[in-house]
Amino acid sequence: MPTFVYMTRCDGCGQCVDICPSDIMHIDPIYRRAYNIEPNMCWECYACVKACPQHAIDVRGYADFAPLGHSVRVRREEEKGTVSWKIKFRDGREKNFVSPIRTTPWGSIKSPADYDRPSQDALKAQELSHEPEKLHIDALPALPPQ
Amino acid sequence: MGLFTSRKTVFVDSDILVIGGGFGGCGAAYESRYWGRDLKVVVVEKANIERSGAVAQGLYAINCYMGMRWDENQPEDHVRYARNDLMGLVREDLGYDIARHVDSSVHMFEEWGLPIMKNEETGRYLREGKWQIMIHGESYKPIIAEAARKAATEVYNRIMVTHLLMDKTRPNRVAGAVGFSVRDGNFYVFRAKAVIVAAGGASHIFKPHSVGEGMGRTWYAPWSSASAYALPIQVGAKMTQMENRIVLTRFKDGYGPVGAYFLHLKTYTENAYGDDYEATWYDSIKELVGDYVDHQPVPTCLRNHAFLQEIKAGRGPIRMVTKEAFADPHKETVGWENFLGMTIGQAVVWASQNIDPKETNPELIMSEPYVMGSHATCSGAWASGPEDYAPADYQWGYNRMMTVEGLFGAGDTIGGTAHKFSSGSFTEGRIAGKSAVKYVSDMGHGAPQVDEAEYEALKKAVYQPMETYDVGRNEIVAGTVSPSYLLPIQGLQRLEKIMDEYVGGTSTNYLTNEPMLTRGMELLGMLKEDINHLGADSLHQLQRAWELHHRVLASESVARHTMFREETRWPGYYYRADHPQLDDDNWHCFTLSRRDPGTGEWAMEKAPVHHIID
Amino acid sequence: MLSSSPFAEVSAFISPTVMQVYIVAMILMVAGGTLFDMVHKKSATYFFRAWRKSTGNATTPVGGGEMASLAIRTVAVEILTSAEFCKVRRRIAHLLTFYGFLAYVIATVIMVFAYPTPATPAPAILPVLWNIGALMVLAGGYWFWFFLRVDVAWEGNSPFRLVRADLFVVSLLVSVTLGLVWEVVQATTDGTIWTNVFLALYILSTTVLFASVPFSKFSHMFYKPAAAFQKRVEEANGSSNLPAPAETPRGKV
Repeated sequence: MPTFVYMTRCDGCGQCVDICPSDIMHIDPIYRRAYNIEPNMCWECYACVKACPQHAIDVRGYADFAPLGHSVRVRREEEKGTVSWKIKFRDGREKNFVSPIRTTPWGSIKSPADYDRPSQDALKAQELSHEPEKLHIDALPALPPQ
Repeated sequence: MGLFTSRKTVFVDSDILVIGGGFGGCGAAYESRYWGRDLKVVVVEKANIERSGAVAQGLYAINCYMGMRWDENQPEDHVRYARNDLMGLVREDLGYDIARHVDSSVHMFEEWGLPIMKNEETGRYLREGKWQIMIHGESYKPIIAEAARKAATEVYNRIMVTHLLMDKTRPNRVAGAVGFSVRDGNFYVFRAKAVIVAAGGASHIFKPHSVGEGMGRTWYAPWSSASAYALPIQVGAKMTQMENRIVLTRFKDGYGPVGAYFLHLKTYTENAYGDDYEATWYDSIKELVGDYVDHQPVPTCLRNHAFLQEIKAGRGPIRMVTKEAFADPHKETVGWENFLGMTIGQAVVWASQNIDPKETNPELIMSEPYVMGSHATCSGAWASGPEDYAPADYQWGYNRMMTVEGLFGAGDTIGGTAHKFSSGSFTEGRIAGKSAVKYVSDMGHGAPQVDEAEYEALKKAVYQPMETYDVGRNEIVAGTVSPSYLLPIQGLQRLEKIMDEYVGGTSTNYLTNEPMLTRGMELLGMLKEDINHLGADSLHQLQRAWELHHRVLASESVARHTMFREETRWPGYYYRADHPQLDDDNWHCFTLSRRDPGTGEWAMEKAPVHHIID
Repeated sequence: MLSSSPFAEVSAFISPTVMQVYIVAMILMVAGGTLFDMVHKKSATYFFRAWRKSTGNATTPVGGGEMASLAIRTVAVEILTSAEFCKVRRRIAHLLTFYGFLAYVIATVIMVFAYPTPATPAPAILPVLWNIGALMVLAGGYWFWFFLRVDVAWEGNSPFRLVRADLFVVSLLVSVTLGLVWEVVQATTDGTIWTNVFLALYILSTTVLFASVPFSKFSHMFYKPAAAFQKRVEEANGSSNLPAPAETPRGKV
């Protein structure tokens, strides 16, 4: 089963239910903890794995083609702006990777409404928001009328 | 729905309704707010926009970036590139439009916090290839979603839109949409002045290679359920190039990406005997497609074709030679991180099979077909082009408006615009957003009105699968086999088998012909009837049921378009065995279809390809 | 009402010995039920196998002293502050129910064992603790039931939907509610049948609560601390498959 949930780690908080793009992380009616209800619609996108505050979710590669004994686990640290991966091969080899995920603080994007109001002329023109400035060229390219 | 729940109807009014919170939808929300400060902009998404759509796991490259600021490329070059890759048939006006704007989107992404890798010597973005730059994109979607949440008046997550609503005061004008909450089951009626469809294209319409749990590991997200196509088709919008399904050559089973491998790591392919095989097939490809084989870079479909021919000749498996490149620790890191930030499943496959590219050259495979509009493919809705230069017959209204008034599209929804990828889809969303604001501000009085009779009828239809299950369940003791209803997964597997066997799936090596297509459409016809008897035992299954409805409608469009184009334009994507050659004399054109919403009849036509760029 | 043990009046027709035996029986049912559950599910076998595997994979083995310190920390943090609940409201609700239940049970035991009859009146603090404890259980419990349950709050199910996972919470809430109702009826009416009706219902629901331990999440009160301890050990001995927390992002962007 692509994602699975560790019984000893899940506290039934529902973050995975909220984030899953496939709507397949749901709550088990016996333990009130999470589980993957439809592994054949699991993309192994790891959204739930990353979202789980208890690191209670893990992945076992699709049984169609992935032999047992491997592990690919992640620790996404939003405040630090990093994602760390630990890969363990079936034969025990290990690889570790750390990458940045964002260069600015979360929540810091300026709302489009906070920019100066565009004029009616600008609405009629072809330039999109922040153009041509954010193109970093003098003017928006165009073709002659056909 | 249980004994103590009651189903409410919730009305949501807006000026602009954005259906789909992926890259296209988030771009549309952002731009709609920028230009429409006082407008109500609503985004509705069947999952959660934080991770919804094709970029759920992240991306490690932006594949559409001109770099005009550094004179790296010009928009017309990109049009030539996309046109070349799609064997001559792209909407050059739409493609130029995206290419001229996309750089500002990428610069905004960087400002928002997307880590873009830099070339240490030049300080420019690190190029993976002519059009591609490299990013650390694990959080690409959450960053873009933050921008959309700041822009939108409201974001409705976990609401699946099933149908558009039409204006009762004027024909052929959209007035909103209906859907249901996947959480509490309430019915939603969205009333809007303009609607932007930015939903997902079609995965899971052809049978995938892996059919167990592995069904989930499709190349394109399994939650792309063809809503981008079904919603416009249902209301009579014209569609184009729906026959142009894409097949991808990727790492085996996991479908991990090969772009960085080819371009940045400089790996290459060889057959099972260690030979470079592509040149072997040059002459035979030239017989099929003529001079197109001489274009550089070689079109994606033709490279696929060579791959397929080599496999059929018995010289597979074909492998990516990685041992040399992976000896370099930097390249090894790039190779693995490429997967971890984009297709984690491939890292899982390699870990599970002890594949270390330093020691083993991993296997490649050609995938099952997909239908979508933003990659090396361009299926989708027929849209009006940019006002400043689009040819007259490509322009009937506002930019990115479909042939239904007030209905706009972006991303995988729009046809004819290949090679836009994430940045281009977001950019197209911005284009559609601005257009929708113009449309709304020009509207004045006489806003569209939804028809109560229409949405009440749709409400009944939307929940029918739950009623069918509840009642039909009484017939059997237990289990999944019922003579009177189908579970959504059963319908999906039947659809995938029909498309696979008759419309050019992997089991026929992507081949079809008119008799096969005819038979396939007969079977699709019966499936269309049967999906009126889907049984859903939960809201989750109800979502699956409507995803199936959308997939079946899109599949019918794909089959009809495939029948209509009597040539093999893209060998390596699919083959018309009865018309095996490329035929520029008769088929250097777009295919257009329109399904009449009243009668359900389909009308096919050709549309000219205007080459506005030399 | 708050000044005397509600159980004292009961001693008139149910002997203190019987009440005390009942309490001991309920405690034994918790222990027995938990043991039965573990044997039946082989969960203890699994737990110790996983423990041995973790020790085997340890990169930095944990000695006895550190083990003890981890155990103390587990008690102090995970148990005493319900720290394993990552959602604040859920944690507060659990703290209310946990400490409320503790107060309520301890007060019950002391009252029934040490001050069982009207001739041996309980110090006022005990019935006060009993009532406060019961009210805390109800506050935390009903809040959880209607607003915080993940299958309701996050999955959209009706709060009236009953599944097996609800067995513990429902039987706890019913038992404690009936206990308070009985206490109020006993104190405000004079020897009517209703007092005994509610007493009977109270005893019945309390028995269900304890008898259903093998089928409910009651036994998780033992499993979760064990799991929390095991998690601390796993993090300390390096046998976890999780990557370590990042120091800095890899290189430059």
